[in-house]
Amino acid sequence: MAEKVRTPTRRAVIIGVIAGVVGIYLAATGNILRFHTRNVLTTADGEGILQLSYTFLLLVILAAAYRAARGTSEQQPDPARRIGLGVLTGGVAGAVVALFVAAMKALIEGGLIVTEITPEIRAVLLDDILLFGRGLGAGSALLIGLGAALGAVAASVHLLDRNNRRPLMVGFVATLLVSLMEPLLRVIIEGLGVDTAWLYQSRGLTVTGAIIVFVVVAGLLTAWTRRGDLVRERVRQLPTQQRSVLRWSTIALFILFLLFLPSLAGLRVSEVLTTIGIYVLLGLGLNIVVGYAGLLDLGYVAFFAVGAYVTAILTFRSSFLVSESGVSVAQLDLGDKGFTNFWVALPIVVILAVIIGVLIGAPVLRLRGDYLAIVTLGFGEIIRVLVASDWLRPWLGGAQGIIAPDDIPPATLELRKPANLYFLILAAVLLAAFISYRLVDSRVGRAWAAMREDESVAEAMGISVIKYKLLAFAIGAGIASLGGAFFAVKIGSVFPNSFKLIVSINVLAVIILGGMGSIPGVIVGSIVLVGLPELLREFAEYRLLFYGAILVAIMIYKPEGLVPNKRRVRELHEVDEEEAQFAKRAGEDTAAPVVTAGGSDEK
Amino acid sequence: MAEQTAEREAPPPPPSAPRRRRLALPERIPVRGTILVILSIAIVLGVVIGTASTLRTGRFTGANWIDLVINGVARGSVYALIAMGYTLVYGILFMINFAHGEVFMAGAFTALFAAFALEEHGVLNSNPILSIGILFLVSMVTSMTVALLLERVAYRPLRGAPRLVPLITAIGASLFLQYTFRGLYSAQARAYPRINIMEGSWTMFGAAVARAQVVVILGALALMIGLYLFIARTRTGRSMRAVGEDKEIASLMGINVDRTIVTTFAIGGLLAGAAGILYVFLFNQVIFTMGFFAGIKAFTAAVLGGIGSIAGAAIGGVLLGVFEAVGPILFLTGAGIDSPNQLQPVVAFGILVLVLIFRPGGILGAPEEKRA
Repeated sequence: MAEKVRTPTRRAVIIGVIAGVVGIYLAATGNILRFHTRNVLTTADGEGILQLSYTFLLLVILAAAYRAARGTSEQQPDPARRIGLGVLTGGVAGAVVALFVAAMKALIEGGLIVTEITPEIRAVLLDDILLFGRGLGAGSALLIGLGAALGAVAASVHLLDRNNRRPLMVGFVATLLVSLMEPLLRVIIEGLGVDTAWLYQSRGLTVTGAIIVFVVVAGLLTAWTRRGDLVRERVRQLPTQQRSVLRWSTIALFILFLLFLPSLAGLRVSEVLTTIGIYVLLGLGLNIVVGYAGLLDLGYVAFFAVGAYVTAILTFRSSFLVSESGVSVAQLDLGDKGFTNFWVALPIVVILAVIIGVLIGAPVLRLRGDYLAIVTLGFGEIIRVLVASDWLRPWLGGAQGIIAPDDIPPATLELRKPANLYFLILAAVLLAAFISYRLVDSRVGRAWAAMREDESVAEAMGISVIKYKLLAFAIGAGIASLGGAFFAVKIGSVFPNSFKLIVSINVLAVIILGGMGSIPGVIVGSIVLVGLPELLREFAEYRLLFYGAILVAIMIYKPEGLVPNKRRVRELHEVDEEEAQFAKRAGEDTAAPVVTAGGSDEK
Repeated sequence: MAEQTAEREAPPPPPSAPRRRRLALPERIPVRGTILVILSIAIVLGVVIGTASTLRTGRFTGANWIDLVINGVARGSVYALIAMGYTLVYGILFMINFAHGEVFMAGAFTALFAAFALEEHGVLNSNPILSIGILFLVSMVTSMTVALLLERVAYRPLRGAPRLVPLITAIGASLFLQYTFRGLYSAQARAYPRINIMEGSWTMFGAAVARAQVVVILGALALMIGLYLFIARTRTGRSMRAVGEDKEIASLMGINVDRTIVTTFAIGGLLAGAAGILYVFLFNQVIFTMGFFAGIKAFTAAVLGGIGSIAGAAIGGVLLGVFEAVGPILFLTGAGIDSPNQLQPVVAFGILVLVLIFRPGGILGAPEEKRA
């Protein structure tokens, strides 16, 4: 789409307004108020210098001014101009926030905002925080002045050359992260027997600590930028065979590292790792369905639920199979106190899930694209509502779910230790990744790719579309049920509430962030979207907000994901090329968006 | 608008056509066909047996059923109004605006605070008509703003992308909006202040009908007729239909496609905002998640009636409402299932799934065979 040419000044004002609106958004959604007690930077005595609330505003203004001062590809402003643009952006952002404060105060005075927290909003959010406790006039001036100053700082980063700019920025972000992960890092470091008073004080990073972290990270990065190109160049010159050896040994090293990770990292991290592992497993399964076969399945959680529930029914002592007579119904007891033990249950779980996958898939797989997504969503919700209903309560436990009681069978108990479960999940993940890897370039994988590109053509080429769709659905279901089985063991209970639509969307966000069709992408996506939020518990409430924003932003700016699959990139760019050609043909007098119409009903 | 959808959108082909050779058994049993046949037989049997045994118990009187039906029509009218937004957008962009339910929620939730302010100053009950007008205004303007922002930020950059891309964005936007409004207005369900003139009931057809239900049904009907006339009679309506038919040709005919699409989203938003207030008249409560289920049900209504068609969405909405109100009790009580209303969502989702499997064109949509 052709952007209108804007003067840099106008651009800066627009970016400044957007930044101001983002600031207002943060204030209005309660983030500023909530995080005002959380220190980011403190003195050595633990007195707060910078709170998280201000950090948010600071980051928004810095990012906006940095972007405004960067200029566009056509216009590269000179240094003085850049600073001017930064100041303008920051000042405008500050002014917008000040306007918001003034408007809110007027509305509250007029009695138009009547809620139970109005006094708090007025006294704390508006007066104390946003106006720095200085009244409307002086406070607004301070907001605008600070905004302009921050804008100047952000713009001046452009004056550095590229090799210096990156360490500076990465160092800044790393320092911030070290500060935010205080709850976790402090425990880990203290666990190693090292005193943390020099680093953390009253939940924030001390100034000394911040400087040390910044210098270390920036220094390491500078060293790597100097050396990195050399190493990369040498790898590129290796013969193909050696390169593949290198690649496989990297993967082997990585797996070795994963094997020793839990013993290195401790209990809390092991637990997070098992959660990440379950999501990687789910992601790999959905990746086959969505990434390879191109079927958007929003009811994926149903198979996860089937896995968890069947596991619970078969192995938990409180399952209806056991509790009726107090002993195993069918004398299948293999040493555990449940109906059967986990190892016997596992294959049954997977086979059942595959059968259910085929049963659900067969009627709906004729549907294309968005309709399929909605129907699978419907199926997922139907299953959840049925499971939660009183009707099926005798078998599935209704809203209370099925809980493993205290006398957990020994085998399951062993399994429930995070470390043990971790290895089991790791094995399953490796298996699923291997299956995916072998499938993608096989006959089946190529059939899926053809189908994804154009179903009618694929069918015309003799590919049995239904068969391959069912296959993808069944494999996805099987992998998801494995995840469900591990989940049931990990949590020790299954509730209908664990299997809401949101799980499907989370998994979808994982593979979209990582890149559809990309195996490393699933791992990266799970670490970022599942691991980080687990480590940054304070922000748990904002997790879903963040997921939503990620889905939108990735689709708009980087639809191939963070770790893209090569073929997928080509597919996505093909659309761009077609569009560009069309735009050329359409000439200049038609509005640009019109020409994209042809693309919308291709798939 | 039904026909144009039929032409533009490659519809799901019919279930695998039966083999031509008569009398001879097919060489292998088609998995899909078998499952479909079993599924349909099971559903028909379940519904018939359930209904028969429910009626035989005689636990419900005629007045009960009338109550349920009117209740269904009232909530169905709300679904129908929201469904207009889906159908309009689908008729033009061929995309499912998954976040439309959140547009509806935004209006109803924001108007809550207008209602608080009005109550605080005593206007709500001293001047109820004006107050209700203000509530409608606030809700409709908010919903429209959200719909326009959605279009500008989330959908416009992706026009022309493969079809799944805007759907994924829409899911993301839906999540984002839900949690934004949770942050703005709190996570609990909150009750609207009472409006006295909406309380009480009138006697009609020998049954007592709640005033709120009558207002909702009439209000929704008026809005839908207005929309129909707008699309059929005005210049803007005509350009909307033209853009739905073919964007390129429409732009050659001098229609500003971008502006037409924006108008479509605005109208969808306005109607969703109005639906928000009507919803409040019926259920009196708002929560940040209310948009999701309402949205899915409205989408079901649009699909049931034939997506892309305004009359279809209206019929689909009312039918779905009635099914939902009557269905669980009628089909399930007789089958000996406790608390059948718990299974209400299954009715809506079940209808959605079944319509898409057996008649993706919906009630007013073109028969499958005629579609390209």
